[in-house]
Amino acid sequence: MEVLRALAATIAKMFATDLWLTATALAAVGLCAAGLRGHFIAPAVLPFVLAGGVLIALTVGVIRGARR
Amino acid sequence: MLNLAQTAPIVGAAFIASSVEVVEAFTIVLAVSVVRGVRPAAIGAAAALAVLACVVAAFGPLLASVPVHGLQLAVGILLLVFGLGWLRKAVLRAGGVLALHDEDQAFAKETQALRGHAGARETAANWLAGTVAFKAVLLEGTEVVFIVLAVGARPGLLVPAAVGAAAACVLVLALGLAVRRPLAKIPENSLKFLVGGMLTGFGTFWCCEGLGAPWPGGDWAILGLVALYLAAGLALSVTLRRTARRMA
Repeated sequence: MEVLRALAATIAKMFATDLWLTATALAAVGLCAAGLRGHFIAPAVLPFVLAGGVLIALTVGVIRGARR
Repeated sequence: MLNLAQTAPIVGAAFIASSVEVVEAFTIVLAVSVVRGVRPAAIGAAAALAVLACVVAAFGPLLASVPVHGLQLAVGILLLVFGLGWLRKAVLRAGGVLALHDEDQAFAKETQALRGHAGARETAANWLAGTVAFKAVLLEGTEVVFIVLAVGARPGLLVPAAVGAAAACVLVLALGLAVRRPLAKIPENSLKFLVGGMLTGFGTFWCCEGLGAPWPGGDWAILGLVALYLAAGLALSVTLRRTARRMA
C-alpha cells in the first residue's frame, strides 16, 4: 500500500510540481489549437507562436520560483 | 525508413533523461546493499523491474491503436509539462535559488534510515531493505517508462527510445559497480538542465505536429528548439545570479 501511495505521489510530482507552469503550458497549447481551428493563426506561423508561448511560460515560472 | 536525423535525437534524449533517473535509483539500491548486503537489494530491484516489464507489456500494445496525431499531441503536452518543470527547476538551481540535489546526501539518508532498523530481527530488516530497493527502482523506473513512451511517440521510434534508455541503465550500472559508490560525480543539475531543454523542445515539436502544423526544416527543427530553450534557461540562470549578487 505504501509503495502504491509513493508511486501515485511520484506520478503526481512529475506533473503537478508547479501547477501554474502546467496550466500555462496547457493554455499555450489550447490557445494555439483554438487559433488554428478558428483560422486566427496560420499553420506556418503556429510553431513560432507556440515556441514563444513556451518561452513566456518558462520565464514567468522561473520568476515565480525565484520570488518564493 | 528511419534516418539518423530522426533516431539520433531520440536515442540521445532517452539516454540522457533516463540516466538521471537511473542514477537516483542506483544510489538507493547501493545504500541498501551496503547496509543489508547485495541479496535483498538485488531481489528488490529485480522484483521492481519485473513489475515494470509486466506493466509495459500489458499497456504498450494499446498505443498502436491510438491515432498518430492524437498520440503526438497527448505526448507533446506530456513532454512539454514534464520538460518545462525540469528546466525551470534546473534554472532555479543553477541560479542559486534552490539547493543542488546531492546524491551523496541521498545515499547517507537512506543508509541512516536502514541502519535505524538494523536492530530489528534479521528477516524483517532484509524485507525492509528489499522493499526500499523495490520502491526506488519502481518509482524511478516509472519515470523512465514515461520518458521512453513520450520520446518514442512516433511510429518506429519506440525502439530507438528504448535502446537509449537501456544504454543509460547499462552505463550507469557499469560505472556504479566499477566505482562502488554513489554517482555524485555526475553533475546532475547540468544533466537535468540539458534534459529539460530537450524534453521541452520535443514537446513543442510534437504539439505542433499533433495539431497538424508542419515545422520549417522538418525534424531538424527539434535541434533549433532545444538550443533556443537551453539558451533561454542559461540567460535566466545568469540573470538570477546577477540579481542575487546585486541584492547581497
